[in-house]
Amino acid sequence: MTATAPAYPFTAPAEPPALLLDGITKTYRSKAGAVDALRGVTYHFARGSFTAVMGPSGSGKSTLLQCAAGLDHPTTGTVVLNGVTLLGLNEVELTKLRRAEMGFVFQAYNLLPSLTVYDNVALPLRLTGRRPARNDVQRVLEQVGLEGKAKRRPAELSGGQQQRVAIARALITRPSVFFADEPTGALDSGTSRQILGLLREATDRAGQTVVMVTHDPVAAAYADRVLFLADGLLTGHLDRATPAQIAAAMSDLER
Amino acid sequence: MFFLSRQTVGRHRSLYAGSFVALAVGVFLLGLAATATAATVAYHGPASASISVTTLGGDGTPPQTVKVPLSDADVSGLQTVLSMVGTISGFITVFVIASTFAFAVASRRQELGLLRLIGATPRQIRRMVLGEAVVVALAASLTGAVAAQLATPFLLSKASYTELAPVKLEPASPWVPLAIAVGAGLLVAMLGARSAARRAGRVAPIDALREAALEPPRIGPARIVFGLLFLAGAITMLTLIRPSSDEGAVPLAMFTPMVIVIALTLLAPLVVPLVGRVWALPLVAWTQVSGRLARSNVLAAPRRSASLAAPILAISAIAGSMVLSLSFAADSAEATIRDAVRAPIVVTGAAPVDVAGVKAVDAGLPVQLVRVAADYAELEDAEGIDPGIAAQTRDLTELSGKLSDLTGNTVAVSKEMSGFEGYDVGDEIPVVFADQASVKLRVVAVVKNAFGVNPSFLLPLDLARKHAPDAQAERSFVLPADGVDPGELVKRLPGAQLAADWEADQAEGVRKGNRVGLVMLLGPAALYSAIAIANTLLMGSLQRRQEFVTSRLLGATPAQLRRMVLWESSLVGAVALSLGTATTVTVGVLIRHAMTAGVADVPVTVPWGILLGIGALCLILAVGSALAPTTYLLRVAAGETGVQQRE
Ligand SMILES: Nc1ncnc2c1ncn2[C@@H]1O[C@H](COP(=O)(O)OP(=O)(O)OP(=O)(O)O)[C@@H](O)[C@H]1O
Ligand SMILES: [Mg+2]
Repeated sequence: MTATAPAYPFTAPAEPPALLLDGITKTYRSKAGAVDALRGVTYHFARGSFTAVMGPSGSGKSTLLQCAAGLDHPTTGTVVLNGVTLLGLNEVELTKLRRAEMGFVFQAYNLLPSLTVYDNVALPLRLTGRRPARNDVQRVLEQVGLEGKAKRRPAELSGGQQQRVAIARALITRPSVFFADEPTGALDSGTSRQILGLLREATDRAGQTVVMVTHDPVAAAYADRVLFLADGLLTGHLDRATPAQIAAAMSDLER
Repeated sequence: MFFLSRQTVGRHRSLYAGSFVALAVGVFLLGLAATATAATVAYHGPASASISVTTLGGDGTPPQTVKVPLSDADVSGLQTVLSMVGTISGFITVFVIASTFAFAVASRRQELGLLRLIGATPRQIRRMVLGEAVVVALAASLTGAVAAQLATPFLLSKASYTELAPVKLEPASPWVPLAIAVGAGLLVAMLGARSAARRAGRVAPIDALREAALEPPRIGPARIVFGLLFLAGAITMLTLIRPSSDEGAVPLAMFTPMVIVIALTLLAPLVVPLVGRVWALPLVAWTQVSGRLARSNVLAAPRRSASLAAPILAISAIAGSMVLSLSFAADSAEATIRDAVRAPIVVTGAAPVDVAGVKAVDAGLPVQLVRVAADYAELEDAEGIDPGIAAQTRDLTELSGKLSDLTGNTVAVSKEMSGFEGYDVGDEIPVVFADQASVKLRVVAVVKNAFGVNPSFLLPLDLARKHAPDAQAERSFVLPADGVDPGELVKRLPGAQLAADWEADQAEGVRKGNRVGLVMLLGPAALYSAIAIANTLLMGSLQRRQEFVTSRLLGATPAQLRRMVLWESSLVGAVALSLGTATTVTVGVLIRHAMTAGVADVPVTVPWGILLGIGALCLILAVGSALAPTTYLLRVAAGETGVQQRE
């Protein structure tokens, strides 16, 4: 086990990164024993980049995402988001940072079932104490193609539509970094394309940074760069790759 | 956050309906106790039935004139019972509400985590949970208060002209008592909600991502510390239930279980899995998959299981201890009465005993007197006796002084009274008789306690007759002449019984009185607990819709799921009942030891029927209210899974 894994990629970035991971390790301890989920990950996510993280099941992808988003504390190492070190923040400061700078999309749609689509999307603004402007909410709903569904409840929407509500909710605060964990994991390919298109748009049009964990080479091909993770270590990357190239790299990794 | 509170209360209807019902019933009971108390306070008996007494004053308290009602207009008995009903109901309410709110939070971990994830601060979550509690508590308290107000006339008509309140009671102004009940309800809800809210605020954003969102197994150090403190308190109280505590033993036996219940509930997330593991052994051995599933469901969510077990534990421990203690108290009363009567024959009634073959008749005169102290005056029962005869017919063993000095303005007091008030031979007790005469009585002797046979104050017969000319003997102890067979004499005497029969009747009277008291004290609490047990288990099952749907899709049959729920609720019930039983047995053994010290041959009466009935009822309620919603959900789910499979 090497605690001092080399930084990845090996060139220093030209401008300050949106998100910086430095020597992240994560060890889960439970009665069953200790699991080293991450064993030293160092990486700079450039501003406005769309990065996919791939790897075999159990390789630590979700753990990486959770540590990067400050949802979980790394065992060692630091996370710096837009120049702010997450380690030194208390729960409230972390929440406020999350509110302002991060958006989340997960495989399970994570909507509040009691609220309408409109209220779900407006919720992050309400939590900051702002009164959501009707136009803003309508605008993001249009952006994800859900105009006219504002009054529905999540239970009255399809899986893809629910996922788009989650994206709209992430978009409304204009976060600088999106974290997505298998956002298309439960969707058919057509619906997946819409969702990935929305994430792609976020980087291209608004300069937002996207970090997406996925199992699907087609989904990963939407990214500028695909990172490969195995056994808690970054092992390689592909830039602007095709689904076939990504699939080949993945099957190498899983062998 | 109020916006969210309003929406989520609607969403979690079953959770909040549970809290609503629990609190509304609690406020209803408190409100009833309060309005009835107000009615007794407002009651002013007829002037003729009470005597005005001026207290002595001293120690900074000025003398005061107080009205002491004579027993035929006395409502203090009802007041005492009402205050105890209020205490027990209040305790159970606090208890149920706290665990209901805790349960509601535990069931919503994932949703709370999601709110945290999209930017809610812990403080906002706390405020949201509190906000929801306020909405529910306001509605529930007001509903409970209105119901109490509507039920008050009925309660008062039932309570009027009874032994506890031998007068007609009228409803008094309801505003103050109902305001107190509503205030208490809100306070209880806020206290219960506060700790639940604090726990909700600690839910981490990452909980939104955990599939099952199981609660963390650890319990907070504060909870453990408080649990241990209460446990230490309970143990201290238990050690005080010993022979030397005399009269303190019974109240201790009533309140100690409450403290034990608090301690066990605080420590429940540790204790329940421990006991659960033991009970699960036969379950896993005898059943197939359902018992195993039930075991892991109960053990993997200790806090949830603890909330479900709490009301069962509370009522079984409190009711069990009370039933057993009172039964043992009656046993000891029976033995005391038996030992205190020496005459072989007892005649009931006031008719003079004048047939041949009688050596002596001890026809004591029951009178009432008001004992005057520095800042209060209290009505006491006394009896005028002929010390020469009474010393032969009853056990009047002198512990100090001489009973033969009982002439003129003198009194003999029981050991209990001398212990309470510190009376010694030679002391003077100022009293006022029913004829308004103020007299100072000199203590000439302290005699053995003989509850049920001798009152606390024994006067010379002449003194009693002088101040209460109308007093008549209620029962006389008869000594047959030498050589006369008591069995034969009894037949010739109207209203006579052999002492053994009379003693048995007295003991039966004590037990009957206890039963009435138990129904009054435990009735409301039991009713409330029954509702609470059904409530928490209903809530628990209704929350599991998703789990049932998934299990059905995985191929579990409805019968398997029903069996699983059956075993789960039985397991929780068994754990709670075994803790309740342990409490009952501990208290019972100690109180028995305390009350039988120094009395030989005390009968043992364990009211098995009632005790087993309490246990069975708890179990049936728990299992029934877990199974009913499960069956319902499974029927609904059958439709849903059909649809999903077609898609
Ligand atoms: N809360 C936890 N406690 C203990 N071990 C954990 C926990 N979460 C993850 N692990 C372990 O850490 C390792 C990495 O888990 P992680 O969820 O990051 O994998 P992943 O790459 O996201 O896998 P998948 O593709 O299946 O989602 C696994 O071995 C997993 O068992
Ligand atoms: Mg994962």
